Parts: sequence; C-alpha cells; structure tokens
Amino acid sequence: MRSFVSVVDDDESVRESLPDLLREFGFAVRAFSSAEEFLASDCVGQTSCLVLDVAMPGMTGPDLQRELRRGGREIPIVFITAHRDETVRPRVLEHGAVECLFKPFSETALLEALNAALRAA
Amino acid sequence: MENELSHVVDALPGLVWTALPDGHVDFLNGRWCEYTGLGVGDAYGHGWQTAIHPEDLPELLERWRSILASGESGEIEARLRRFDGEYRWFLFRTCPLTDASGQVVKWCGVNTDVDDRRRTDEALRAREGRFRSIVDALPALVTIMTPTGELELANRQVLMRGFPLRDTEGRSAQNDAALKRSEAREAAILDAALDCVATIDHEGRITEFNAAAERTFGYRRDEVIGEQLADVIVPPPLREEYRRTLGRYLAAGDTRVLGRRVEMMAVRADGSEFPAELAITRIALDGPPSFTAYLRDITEHKRSIDEREWAETRLAGEKQLLEMIASGRSLPDVLNALCSFVERAAPDCHCGVYPIDWSGPTFQNGMAPSLPASYTAPIEGLPVRCETAPCGIAAHLKTQVIVEDIESDPRWHASPYRAHVLAHGLRSVWSTPIYSLEGRVLGTFCIYQRKPATNPSPRQQDLIAQVTHIASIAIERAMGEAALRRSEAFLAEAQRLSSIGSFSWRAGTDDITWSEQLYRIYEFDQAVPLTRELIGSRVHPEDIPSADEWIDWALNDGRDFEDDYRLQMPDGSVKHVHFVAHATRDRDGRLEYIGAVQDVTERRHSEEALGKARAELAQVARAMSLGVLTASIAHEVNQPLSGIITNASTCLRMLAADPPNVNGARETARRTIRDGNRASDVITRLRALFAKKGAATEWVDLNEAAREVIALSRSDLQRSRVILRTELADDLPLVTGDRVQLQQVILNLLLNASDAMSGVDDRPRQLVIRTERGEGDDVRLSVRDAGVGVAPEGVDKLFEAFYTTKSGGMGIGLSVSRSIIDSHHGRLWAAPNDGPGATVSFSIPRRPGGVTAAHGLGAIRTCAAANAAHVTGSP
Repeated sequence: MRSFVSVVDDDESVRESLPDLLREFGFAVRAFSSAEEFLASDCVGQTSCLVLDVAMPGMTGPDLQRELRRGGREIPIVFITAHRDETVRPRVLEHGAVECLFKPFSETALLEALNAALRAA
Repeated sequence: MENELSHVVDALPGLVWTALPDGHVDFLNGRWCEYTGLGVGDAYGHGWQTAIHPEDLPELLERWRSILASGESGEIEARLRRFDGEYRWFLFRTCPLTDASGQVVKWCGVNTDVDDRRRTDEALRAREGRFRSIVDALPALVTIMTPTGELELANRQVLMRGFPLRDTEGRSAQNDAALKRSEAREAAILDAALDCVATIDHEGRITEFNAAAERTFGYRRDEVIGEQLADVIVPPPLREEYRRTLGRYLAAGDTRVLGRRVEMMAVRADGSEFPAELAITRIALDGPPSFTAYLRDITEHKRSIDEREWAETRLAGEKQLLEMIASGRSLPDVLNALCSFVERAAPDCHCGVYPIDWSGPTFQNGMAPSLPASYTAPIEGLPVRCETAPCGIAAHLKTQVIVEDIESDPRWHASPYRAHVLAHGLRSVWSTPIYSLEGRVLGTFCIYQRKPATNPSPRQQDLIAQVTHIASIAIERAMGEAALRRSEAFLAEAQRLSSIGSFSWRAGTDDITWSEQLYRIYEFDQAVPLTRELIGSRVHPEDIPSADEWIDWALNDGRDFEDDYRLQMPDGSVKHVHFVAHATRDRDGRLEYIGAVQDVTERRHSEEALGKARAELAQVARAMSLGVLTASIAHEVNQPLSGIITNASTCLRMLAADPPNVNGARETARRTIRDGNRASDVITRLRALFAKKGAATEWVDLNEAAREVIALSRSDLQRSRVILRTELADDLPLVTGDRVQLQQVILNLLLNASDAMSGVDDRPRQLVIRTERGEGDDVRLSVRDAGVGVAPEGVDKLFEAFYTTKSGGMGIGLSVSRSIIDSHHGRLWAAPNDGPGATVSFSIPRRPGGVTAAHGLGAIRTCAAANAAHVTGSP
C-alpha cells in the first residue's frame, strides 16, 4: 500500500505542483489550503507524513504541530517555508519535526526528508 | 490842581486799570471785568468802550485823548454798563506814571462808582454847577469873584487861613455871609471825602483832621489837633526819619517832594500798620507856610498790584517751563528749572521732585537742586513705601502730606528719614503727589523749609498745584518719549531679527523712505540718496522684467502688491526677498505705497534643505522597511521559484516515464511558466518600490496601489498571523500624487497595524484595509487593526519623529508618512476604535495641485500636464 502524504499550504502553486511530484515518487497525496481544513478532513488518521507550510493565515504550521501532539496524533512532519528565518528550523525540529526545508528545495532533499519521515512512522 | 484832585478821586473805591502811554488799555482788574461782565480778552485795547454809555462815549474819548496829549492826570464821569445792563455813573480817573526823566511809562486808572453821590449832590450841583464844586474841593486857595468884584466864593483854604480876601484889584473881599456859607459847605465836602485829609502847619503840627482820617486812624479830631503829624500816623521805628525828612521839606519848601505821591507805612491808634500813599501840598499863602496832607489807605490797591504781580510771576514761570518742555529739554533740566522757579517765587524754601519708577517701585532720577547731593543721593532708588518718607505716604495714599516740624512730629520719631532731614538743617516737609492725566501718581513734589511751617497758604497751594501740574506734563512727556524711543528701538530690533525692512514710496514724486533694516538687506549705505535706479541696480537680472512690470502697475493702478524677487549683491551672492506693498492715498489723493520687504534667503535655503532632508528621511525609512521586508521579498520570490523547480522536476519525471505522460508534462511546464512570470512580477514591483527617485506626480489608483502593497506584504502579514480583509471601494476616483510615496505610506500603515497585533492572542488578528470617497473631493484610505490601540492623548505623538511604542522601532515611519501626505496636501490621522485597536487613515484631495516642497517644477509640470489631460477628457 502506498504511503499517504498530506500537503498543507496556503499557496496554490505549491498545492498544484507538489502533489504531482509526490505522486511521481509513488505516494498517495492530498493537498489542503489550511491547517483547519486538514484537521476537519477525514485524512488525519491515514496520513503517514505531513508536508506542512510554516506561515499561514489563521492556524500556522507549528500551531497544527502542537495541536496534533496535544491530540496524541504523532504524525511525522516535514515543514516547508519560503521564509528564510533561521530561528524557525531549530524551533520546529525541537518540537519533533523530521525536517524543515526552505523553498525552493530540490526533489532530492524532499525525497530524503519524506523517507526519513516514513522511517520514523 | 487837577493832579491833586485825581489823588482824592483815586482813593475812592473803584475799578482799576492801566494803559500804555498811547492809551491802549493793557490791564483791567478782576473787579472791572466782574462789574461789566466783559472778559479780559474782550475789554483790552479798545474793547472797554463797549461798556460805556453811547451818549457819554464821544465826550469820554475826547477827554481821554486830551489827557493823553497833556501827559497829566485827568478824570471824567461817564455811565458804565453793569453786567446786568444797568448803567451807573462812574468817575474815570487816570494819572501818569513817569520814569526818572519824566517820560510817561504807564497810565493808571480807577473807576469809582459815583452814582449815589451824584444823586445826593444833585441838588447842590444843580445850584452851583459842577465846575464850582470841583474847584471848591481843590486843595488850594481859590477865589471866584463876580465881574463886579464881589466875592462869589472862597474855598476852604482861604477860609481856614483867615486871610483877607482880595479881588484882583486888591479890594477886600471880606464877606461874612459868603464865607460862612462857603465854610459850612466846604466842611461838609471835606468830611464827605473818602480820603484822609489833614492840614499841618510849618512845624508839622496837625491843624485839621477830617472824618475819613478819623475813621482810618481811629483818632478823634480833637485828640490829634496840635500833635505832630509824624507822631500820629507814622509807625514808631520810622517816625524819627520821617520827621527829619518832613522837617527838611517843610523848611525848604522842597517842591520836588511836595505834590508828589509817596508810599509809606502808616500806623493806626491800635498800632496796626497799613500801606499808605501820602501827598503833601503847600498852601500858597502869605505868612508861615502851611500844608495839606492827603493820605490814602492803599492796602487794597497794593494787594491788587501784588496779586497781579504774583499772577504775572506765575505765568512767566509757567511759560518758561512749558517752553522748555515743548522745546524738548531733558527732564532733569525742566525739573531743575521748576524747583528754581518755586524757590524764587516762594523764598526761604527748598524744592525737590522725585519721579517714581513703579516697576520697583522706587524713587528714580529725583532732584533737589538747592540741597546738597548728600541729601538727594540716599533717596535715589529708595523703595516707595509708606514708612519711607512723607513722599512715600504721599505717593501711596495719593494725598498731600504736611510735616510741620519733623523734629517734633511723632510719626517720624522712629524713621531714619527724620535724622536725614534734620542733619541738613531742614524742619518742615510738604510733599504733594504728582498725578498723571489718568490720576496715576508719577512722583512727588516736596517743599522743605528750615523752620517749622504750618499748612501752605492758599497762594502756596496754588503754586504747588501749578508746578505739580507742570511736573506731571514734563514727566509724562519724558515717559512718553522714553516709551517712543523704546518702541522705535524694539521696532528696529524686531526688523533686524526678522530681517524685515519697511519702506514708503510716494509714487508721484519718487520720494522714498527706508528703514535701517532695509538698507542692511540691500547693503546700501544710509548716507546714499535713494533713487529707483539705485534700488533697481540690486535686482537680479532675471527678475528685472517683473520688477519693471510691478512699477508700471503701481504707478498706473495704485493696487496692493505682494511678490518675491531676488537681489544680486555686489559680491555675486543672491538674496531672496518677499515684499508686500500697500497702496494708500493722502488727503490730496496722492498715491503712496507703504510696505515691508523680508529677506527670506535663509528661509528659502532652509526649505530646500528641509525638502532634501525629508526625501533622504523617506529613503532611510524605505531602507528600514526593506530590512523588515527582506523575509517577505524572499518569500515572494521563493514561492514561485519553489513552484518552478517542483514543476520542472515533475515535468522531467513525466517525460521520462514510459510511456511519457505528455499531458501531465505540458501542464507542469505551463505552471512553470506561470510561476516564472509570477517571480518576474515580484521583481518588477520591488524595483518600482525601492528605486530611489524624486517625487513624481501622476494619476494614482489607490486601490491598485494598495493591492500591490498587499501582495508584497501578504506573506509577512501571514507570518504574523494577521487576517487581512480588504474593503476597496469600486468607484474610487483617481488621485494625483507620487505613487511610490503613497505605497510607502500604505506599507507603513500595514506593518504598523501588524506590529500592533503581535501580542494579541485572545482575538483574531484582523486587519481591514479600506478605501472610500472622503468628504468633498477627498479620497480616503484607512487601516484598522485589533491591536493594543492608542490612548487618545497619545494620538498626536504618534506622528512625531522618533516616538515609538515598539521595542525595535525607530519611530520614523509615521512621521515620514505624515510628511509625505502633507506634501500631497492631505491629512494623516489616527483614532482609537470603539472596540480593540486603532484606525490610522489618510485622505488626499483628488487634485491637490501636485506634490509640494522640494519636488520642484518637474512635479508641478507633470501635475499641470495631468490636469490638462483630465480637462480634455483623458483619464
């Protein structure tokens, strides 16, 4: 069975391009435009890996990370962000994220992070 | 004889007057004027004639002319009109006053009311005639014979002496009946006379003493007959000398004395003395000489003369002092003369004047010229207090203070002033306030005497009132002049400080007047005569045409003007001046311009520097924002880059599949292009935003400008978890302005709003950006946050440079924003929301006429072009 990856990003181009690439890698993928949409969906339980944007209107990526941990749902998370803010990466890693990638990232870096996440799962 | 008669008549109560040798009346006493109701001014010269009964006037004038021609005393009766219109008979008497050479220098006259006498004597005069009665009263031997040689009348002198009367042919004229009749009549006349008449024998013994003499001296006739005249009427200290002199005269028959009037002091039975005029005539008869003494109490006469002299003295003094004031003599000079005048007019006193400077209050510039400096020096600068001195009380209580004797006056026992006064030999001090016209106390006037002195006499009070009045004029004038000098100095200083010069120009005559400062601005020597050509030589060559135009307008239109022009100075430097000229016309309608010229060179330079500084500050603020925006920029660029790379990778994989997924690859390639364009747009916007260029005026759609800013800052706002809502009006008109600068302001407001909500966790961090039509022609943009808000008292401070509520802020953003909006003729303001947070808004007019200040002609031209385009229908 293919691993299920959920992508949460408010940027439409990411929601369009990233799932296509992940499907090329062989993952089952679903994209959400906000953390709230993801939490409200029925995909939370089957998600093996979460590719999560850091900065979003409303609930942010780290907010969702805290929310999942509080709910006892330890989904491995790969953060992606266009903000090259060096303080973000250690913070999210400290809270259990598998990786934090700065956009634009290479497909290799993405693939390595996903594999690491799936191993953690 | 006439002379003698005039003496008798002179003594009667009357109205007094004097005339110049040519008969021109130059003085009439108060009673004369009171009686006739004529004013002094009306009666002088020939005006007195209007008070004479018209029927009597020709004769009176005829008589007056003959008296003047004769140079001797004379008299006439005429009716004089009383103030109520009733005519009464008066005796007009005059006698000449001569100098040593016998030349007439003055005529003295007395008018005596003889109306009652005329009535009582009417019967007598009707019987004997006017001439006879006068002759009868003459103090000389007079006989009148009938043509047949009979004695018609023998006057009293003849009868008293008992001389045998002879006619011209030597016949005896003894006629008992006639004599008796004459004697009785003469005795009655003598007794009716108001003058004192006494006759004396050659040894000076009294042989007759009339009723008037009895009344005047308080002796009965029988008490003094046979006594020495000197012992009776002359005060004891003068008696011996008088007796000697009289004896000599009587013995020698000195005619220089006889018949002349001599002033002397006389004494009454009760010892009281009075001034008198004495004339002694010799009774020219054979045998031992005898004399008639006529004596008149001249107390009233002396008093009237004294009063006249006093009035003249005061008038002369007043005239002199007022002339000094009017001629601009210094206050010390005037006060000095004033003190000297009083000291001359009221001997045995010292005077002081002490002006008060109420800013202290202290006595300042006081003086007492006849007292030593040791007296006045300690008073200088002394505080004006009640306990200071009598002058202090006078000034404070606005009342005259009389210290009769400072040695014994208990009020001053404890005062150091007492010792000071006594040490200078002074005892009495009278201090009087000097009032201004409005009743303010300007100082005090002091009279000191070296002996105790009771209250001032009416005459002294008059004098004090007069000199304090003059002193007040002098002090007020000096104060006025000082104030004027100060005011002029202030004006000159104000002109210097503000670099404003003033001028007047009479257009018709080219009469030009400049203030000192204007000479300084133009750098002309004040000695150089001003001409239009000279002034024109300073005008900057490029401004000469407009200056010439201005002068033409001024000469032809007579309107007010205001303009700027430049001056080119000899060293080549350029000055900017602003001038305002106001046209006025004098009473004759002649045109005169009054105006001011301000040197605005420094202001112009400051404005330019300010504009430059503002532009630089805006640049700094942009740089600051740039730092803040780096992450946002990176985000904006990285997002499409990320899309490009992802799509490209996907595309490659789809093409490499077997079979290749061409449709998928095409779709990803399309997305790659889209994201590439998106990145390119970001760069374009950034370049527009951060390119350093001067303000440019163009048509700006605020909605579009706001959208672009939102696009650039969206990621930053998202990172701050800000929920942005836009409420952009659909029908928003375009505005003219600098697009980049306005976007700078919008960006600043957004970032500020975002920062204001950074600590908010209990409510959505909602930010609303709204555009709408404002009041009138304005377009408004507001940014509403739900942040910490702003206290009403902090609203104004928000816009001050370097005021900030943020730990990392510099407080420049809003200050710069406001200056940008100001330069768009708009308004930027903040207000607390009803709920949480604050709203910051700006409004700018649709057509503000371009961006002002340092942005120069280019911007204005752009704006003008834009306006022209607008007018012609092009958007």
